[in-house]
Amino acid sequence: MAKEKPDLVYGTLDMLILKALQHDPRHGLAIADRIQQMSKDILHVEQGSLYPALYRLEAQGWIKAEWGVSDNNRKARYYKLTAAGRKQLSAEEEHWLRITKGIDLVLAGG
Amino acid sequence: MAIAHMASMLDRELKKGSAELLILSLVQDRPRHGYDIGQLIELRSRGTLRFNIASLYPLLYRLEKRGWIRGRWVEKAGQRRRRYYRLTSAGKKILAAQRDGWREFVEAISLITGIQHA
Amino acid sequence: MPDFKEEIRKRLVALNLAPTRENEIVEELSQHLEDHYEQSLRTGVSGDEAYDAALNELRASDLSGPLKQIERRVQQEPVVIGRDGNANLLSDLWQDLRYGLRMLAKNPGFAAVAVIALALGIGANSAIFSVVNTVLLRPLPYKNPERLVMVWEENSKQGFPRDTPSPANFIDWRDQNHVFESMAAIVEASFNLTGAGDPERIDGHGVSAGLFSLLGVEPQLGRAFRSEEDKPGGSHVVIISYGLWQRRFGSDPGIIGNPINLNGKSFIVVGVMPRTFQFPTRKDQLWVPLAFDAKEAGQRGSHYLEVIARIKPGVTLQQAQAEMTTIATRLQQQYPETNTSIGAVVTPLHEQVVGDIKPALLVLLGAVAFVLLIACANVANLLLARAAVRQKEIALRLALGAGRARLIRQFLTESVLLAALGGGIGLLLAVVGLSVLKRFIPPNISQAQAITIDAKVLIFTVLVSILTGLIFGLAPATHAANFNLNDTLKESGRDSAAGSRGNRIRGLLVISEVAVSFILLIGAGLLINSFLHLRNVDPGFRAERALTMKIVLPEPRYADKEQRGVFYRELIRRVETLPGVSSAAVATNLPLTESGNSVGVSIEGHADPAPDRVPIVITRIISPRYFETMGIPLLKGRAFTEEDKSESESPSVIVVSETTARSFWPGEDALGKHIKVGSPSNNDNKWLTVIGVVKDVRQFELVVEPKPQMYLPFTQANFFEPRALVVKTNLEPLSLAATVRKTVWEIDKDQPVSDIASMEHIVSESVARQRFSMLLLGIFAGLALVLAAVGIYGVMSYSVAQRTHEIGIRMALGAQKKDVLKLTIGQGLKLVLIGVAIGLGAAFILTRVIASLLFGVSATDPITFVAISLVLIGVAMLASLIPALRAMKVDPMFALRYQ
Repeated sequence: MAKEKPDLVYGTLDMLILKALQHDPRHGLAIADRIQQMSKDILHVEQGSLYPALYRLEAQGWIKAEWGVSDNNRKARYYKLTAAGRKQLSAEEEHWLRITKGIDLVLAGG
Repeated sequence: MAIAHMASMLDRELKKGSAELLILSLVQDRPRHGYDIGQLIELRSRGTLRFNIASLYPLLYRLEKRGWIRGRWVEKAGQRRRRYYRLTSAGKKILAAQRDGWREFVEAISLITGIQHA
Repeated sequence: MPDFKEEIRKRLVALNLAPTRENEIVEELSQHLEDHYEQSLRTGVSGDEAYDAALNELRASDLSGPLKQIERRVQQEPVVIGRDGNANLLSDLWQDLRYGLRMLAKNPGFAAVAVIALALGIGANSAIFSVVNTVLLRPLPYKNPERLVMVWEENSKQGFPRDTPSPANFIDWRDQNHVFESMAAIVEASFNLTGAGDPERIDGHGVSAGLFSLLGVEPQLGRAFRSEEDKPGGSHVVIISYGLWQRRFGSDPGIIGNPINLNGKSFIVVGVMPRTFQFPTRKDQLWVPLAFDAKEAGQRGSHYLEVIARIKPGVTLQQAQAEMTTIATRLQQQYPETNTSIGAVVTPLHEQVVGDIKPALLVLLGAVAFVLLIACANVANLLLARAAVRQKEIALRLALGAGRARLIRQFLTESVLLAALGGGIGLLLAVVGLSVLKRFIPPNISQAQAITIDAKVLIFTVLVSILTGLIFGLAPATHAANFNLNDTLKESGRDSAAGSRGNRIRGLLVISEVAVSFILLIGAGLLINSFLHLRNVDPGFRAERALTMKIVLPEPRYADKEQRGVFYRELIRRVETLPGVSSAAVATNLPLTESGNSVGVSIEGHADPAPDRVPIVITRIISPRYFETMGIPLLKGRAFTEEDKSESESPSVIVVSETTARSFWPGEDALGKHIKVGSPSNNDNKWLTVIGVVKDVRQFELVVEPKPQMYLPFTQANFFEPRALVVKTNLEPLSLAATVRKTVWEIDKDQPVSDIASMEHIVSESVARQRFSMLLLGIFAGLALVLAAVGIYGVMSYSVAQRTHEIGIRMALGAQKKDVLKLTIGQGLKLVLIGVAIGLGAAFILTRVIASLLFGVSATDPITFVAISLVLIGVAMLASLIPALRAMKVDPMFALRYQ
């Protein structure tokens, strides 16, 4: 019987991406690396999930893409947070807080 | 609205992901039936988390199929029979693992967001 | 209470569930809705509103969808890390590979150390295996080589367990046996090739006509010998090697049927052998028929042939041996004067070729296996340590449902990747190493130049790589994936599951590394010791600043010893006038170059010995200043001078060696005694008077005790002739070579010289094989030592990092820095001492294996053992030092807080 796998980041991917862009613009792989780094290597984001998420966030207007030059002098697409994105980030963080608090309450026994 | 829509994805995934954990923990101490479980979740979380019938029972059946919980029809005096679920020994182990995993995960995200839990 | 069952059932219709199951679900869900309805009522709404609310709950989302998935199959949800199930094994593997590569790239230091360790281990293994493969395993390049044998005379009684047969014996063997398809004899023959460019001395062999068909090899051009050419008169034909054909005759196919000039005589070339044909050694470049005349064929007492035979199909080696022994016994009775102690021994040709080096090669194979083990242990340690560090990640992934199998597979992929990289680089190392090695391989090992990396070795390397990957990848992988999650996560931040059990494993690995490298070091130490002993053996002469070369005067132009004498005298005279030359001499051969010619002698005054007890003495024919030139001390009496002229003019004289004097005339003065070559009744030879006694020289090898030796002046002796020139000089010997050769050509422009070398080089070459083994084993032992040191360092480092907390506590409780230092070094020392103890025990047993390769040193030589132990302990202490120093620097506050 195949095991079921939960989405490792429980839908926090968007929030993590926005968080990763909070201070600096980055390109795709750098975002994944940053998430990995911020979570001390615990969370890995696959390219297969990252890029669709980036496009979705871009479509929503929370991040904006520009062409820039990367460390090894290649043209790369850099993403940065928009003003709406910053608002979304705090909204997500707030949601996160609320829901996990709720879960904790259930787990703790009310 | 855009914001509400996106936030609800987080909601949805978080809930979905933590659902097993919640259910397992609720049947740890004593057997409960489905409605009871749903109620407890809603009440304890002060309304933040809510599972409706269509999300709850498939989940229960899935956990049962995995052997983590066991469902039994119990007939109490003067009542119709109801299906009660309780944790199996395999489920106990899984619960412990998932509790810890959940804690780790939350810690990891907290590291990132800088948001601490009490 | 309203009935919700219908509504529910409606939604389940599409699922087509079994009736019992459907009923169950309907019953449960309807109870849920009923509870919901009752709940609503309690809040005070009307029955209808409550009913609607309940139904809304049902309608709010899709029920049949999720249920469908559960009741039939469980569908996969998208995940971020990997996918489960066998759905796409290949893409999973590909992902594992990419993940593995990324992991390695993130830790370049670790990856580099691991890859290098493996590369060294695998490379060494591949190189040695190539050698073993070619030299030991590859069959000889002849038809059905397993049926080829060599037949020797067995004469242990007189000190020749394998002697070269005499022609008469050979002929009788050949004619009387029923076990061999064919039998052929060969004899060393060399010729001066003249008439086309510089005169050149070419080595070759005289062979029976049937030799080539016996071997199953045909000439590439032309034909083999015919039997009528193997007789006197028909025998001036020659077959040349591919190399000679290419080099001297421009690969001209027209050479067939045309004459070439050998030793002043004309030989018709009838065939050219293929390029790969090297028989019996790679020095042989031409073959002529043996063509015994009646006198030669009847020679039973001169032993100088080599005999090769092909066993008939269906006959075993034992049967062949038995038959030859029978024939030899028969000959013993028929010819008691010559054959009394002579038996026959049959050895497979392959063994003949490789027998010498088999033990050394096998020892080397064992050694590189050890090196590989150590490398694997190191890498296992590294991986274990890393697995422990990545525990958090592992724990999380497991808790979140990652399959154990998948996790194990990912770890294995990483280690197999490491092994593959290591194997690849190792193969490169092997190729480079082999080409270097080939230059040092002692030249008498056949097919040595043919050693290459071939398919078998490639497969071997690949197998070894994968095996190492699986073996040392398995331990950390299962270890990592099996530990108890609860324990792990409870001790947050500190390494726990790889705690005591992991530490124990690592400790065991280090101990075994130390033990194994100890064994290797002992082996190398013993070989080095043995080699030094060997080099210190006094060869009996002074080898410094002496130039040597071979000058073989061909019979046609120098038919008797008078003519040769003229040449030698003139040569010596001219050479001695060259600047920088102190003296020159000629001799039959030089020490350590050939097996040496020997003759049987009779001693005056001693009873005639039985034929099998005739003393055999190694004989050299020399010019007067030979002893002086070679630096052989004269112990008694005098050396030869110009006054010792031919036998008709002066008394027949002889100089003997110390051993000879001692064994023939024990307790007496050898001067003045008489010896005769051959039996007393032999009237061709005169009684010779001993006029001098000189020190023994080593004849065959430095290892072998000198046998009786004697010297005769070239003016008087004629049964061997001098073929070697030695020149003592105060210059660098080889710088004189061109001048000396010119001097030779001034006397005879068609006289080639060959084998130009300094005496020191000859002495050094005589121990080439021992040097080779010693170097190789030394290199491997060195490798092992480095790897073990790295292993110790790694384990100690890791242990210190893990015990930072504990060290902090100790320091906070008052421990001094030096206590911490002692503690850490003590830890390392403990491991090393245990390893050395085990190694000692194992070495005692194992070194017997190389006892046959040792000289002058016992396999349990205490000095070597003690020295190596000290070296190993010293290195280990050094390796522990750096981590220990680091431990000392731990700041207690930091350590505690970090927890």
